[in-house]
Amino acid sequence: MADQTSHGIGGLTFDKSKRSWPNEFNVFLALILIILLFEALGQILPYMNNQSMLFDFNDARDGTILNMARIKIIILQVSIIGIISLGVTQVIISGGIDLSSGPLVGAAAMIVMSFAQTELVNGNPNPKAVFGAWSFDLPVLVPLIVGLVFGAMIGAINGFFIAFARIPPFIATLGMFLVCRGISQWWTKGQPVSFPTEGYAWIGTGMMPVVWFIGLAILLHLIMRYTVYGKHTYAIGSNEEAARMSGINVRRHKVMVYMIASMLAAFAAIVLSSKNLTAQAGMGQFYELYAIAMAVIGGVSLTGGRGSIIGTVLGAMVFGVIQSGFTYIKLDAFYQLMAMGAIIIGAVVLDQYRQRRAAART
Amino acid sequence: MKKTLMASAAAMMMTTGAWAQDVGVSMALFDDNFLTVLRNGIQEMADGMDGVDVQIEDAQNDVARQLDQINNFIASGVDAIIVNPVDTSATEAMTAAAEAAGVPLVYVNRQPINVDSLPDNQAFVASNEIESGTLETFEICKILRAQGKGDGARAYLMMGELSNQAAVQRTKDVDDVIGMDMCNFIEIIDRQTANWSREQATNLMTNWLSSGEEFDAVIANNDEMAIGAIQAMKAAGLDMDVIVVGGVDATQDALAAMQAGDLDVTVFQNASGQGSGALNAAIALANGEEVAQKVYIPFELVTPANIDGYLNQN
Repeated sequence: MADQTSHGIGGLTFDKSKRSWPNEFNVFLALILIILLFEALGQILPYMNNQSMLFDFNDARDGTILNMARIKIIILQVSIIGIISLGVTQVIISGGIDLSSGPLVGAAAMIVMSFAQTELVNGNPNPKAVFGAWSFDLPVLVPLIVGLVFGAMIGAINGFFIAFARIPPFIATLGMFLVCRGISQWWTKGQPVSFPTEGYAWIGTGMMPVVWFIGLAILLHLIMRYTVYGKHTYAIGSNEEAARMSGINVRRHKVMVYMIASMLAAFAAIVLSSKNLTAQAGMGQFYELYAIAMAVIGGVSLTGGRGSIIGTVLGAMVFGVIQSGFTYIKLDAFYQLMAMGAIIIGAVVLDQYRQRRAAART
Repeated sequence: MKKTLMASAAAMMMTTGAWAQDVGVSMALFDDNFLTVLRNGIQEMADGMDGVDVQIEDAQNDVARQLDQINNFIASGVDAIIVNPVDTSATEAMTAAAEAAGVPLVYVNRQPINVDSLPDNQAFVASNEIESGTLETFEICKILRAQGKGDGARAYLMMGELSNQAAVQRTKDVDDVIGMDMCNFIEIIDRQTANWSREQATNLMTNWLSSGEEFDAVIANNDEMAIGAIQAMKAAGLDMDVIVVGGVDATQDALAAMQAGDLDVTVFQNASGQGSGALNAAIALANGEEVAQKVYIPFELVTPANIDGYLNQN
């Protein structure tokens, strides 16, 4: 008589050798590894005087054994690109790509900031005023809505061309990349837009970018994990044809995916311009690439259908740790980009290796 | 007197009115604050002149695109070309192309590598970068001395894009000034790049602050980075009256920060003056007049003492 317990699931049995831990765990391990590497360098390098990266036993500074200032900046400096990469993650999971997010940040920041200016700067009239008197000291809701509507519009255009005109996502969003950079330059003919209202400045003050990032990450995680929207996104990314035949409205869904991604990028622009108290046409340069890199380091597969928000958040943390680690060990500015590039490639190579081994086991 | 005025006015009408001057301008980058002021300087001056038409194009930081633009200008028969070079070491080909076609060429703002071997109908208009970093650092040195820190002060140095000539020169200026006997009490704790960007400077400064080192000054290659450093220090609760912060450019944002008592030193580079200077030189060359091959528009130090004169300049 055959094994009763395996009968109902097509003869599958529990096999220890096929057990594997979740993908996010690897990213977490890599994060720990990189932190340990920097801690070790702190002890080895002669000019570092045995400083620690994350710990600080001098109670006088903040009363904890952790170096809270450094832990805060590690997360803070990746929060804004992190918000973009949340949107990019679901685009990549759906089998697409979004290259337009960086320039969209520039364009949205310029437009939004024009609706968030104050009338007086140190008692003088605002030297960077874009519109007339009506646009000064508007309630903070106005720039917020303007920004999100602009983002939704750009995303809808992206989604329309990808889903209905069947243009490859790479090309459609590359075109939008140029359009958005053009908009950001044209808006004020290259002049920066500065001096926002206090209400607007609150959005990005202090650790607020982290609050937005973590809050949105939890929201996106719940959406991707537990809602029909999330399930459909994974289904389309895994096998678009199969998803279509099982009754998913693939076209409409894709438009929504790109709209959400662009709204998140527009929100990132709001946080960024608020944090910096200025909007500049060149803002957001390379953000699209960093956002994609964060997702990929976090285990999101560029072929679609695989990855998670938790992974992307961890990927963002890897970036933050590397960035702060370089300053902490005072790595010469000339080597930083090279080292960062090597780490990105190394992380993905390791992930691919693990994928292949996992595939070989089953 | 009246007669000569009339005569010269008539002469001007002859030269500019009879043959309208078309000037092609290739800017390295449109989305740069400083270059935008310079570009507007060219545009405004041209708008105010009769018979001068400028066509301004964006090379988008691409050397090849810039050379294409210059060749297109030559092909469409412009009377003179103004180039704000993307890469100052790639100007030989541009000089050669314009020289072969006999079209006058003026380099603006960034010093071309062949500045000493330019043909007669080519010129260079800019400010001398050696002045900017030197004025900035020397003023910081004087303020630190006045604070009584003449026997030891520590500073962080924020550099612009590492591939950029101005960043390299201003950084060298800092090193030169603190190499002088009067200022060698300043020690640079660390030097990093924040790529001219306020956001990156805020993050870099916060990272520096997290190491808990004592410091007295932040020297930045431009104002945007100085403002980023100020925002990070204020967020960490540091007293901006004590810490000396310097930048370069005298942007509106920087002047506001100076009025608020946060920024101590900045340096005004007359962008609009460089723009109009370049157009002047281009028109003069197109008219076959003699032009000095190196025209320097001086940098000017801006401190809270003389800030009022600069509020409406940029």
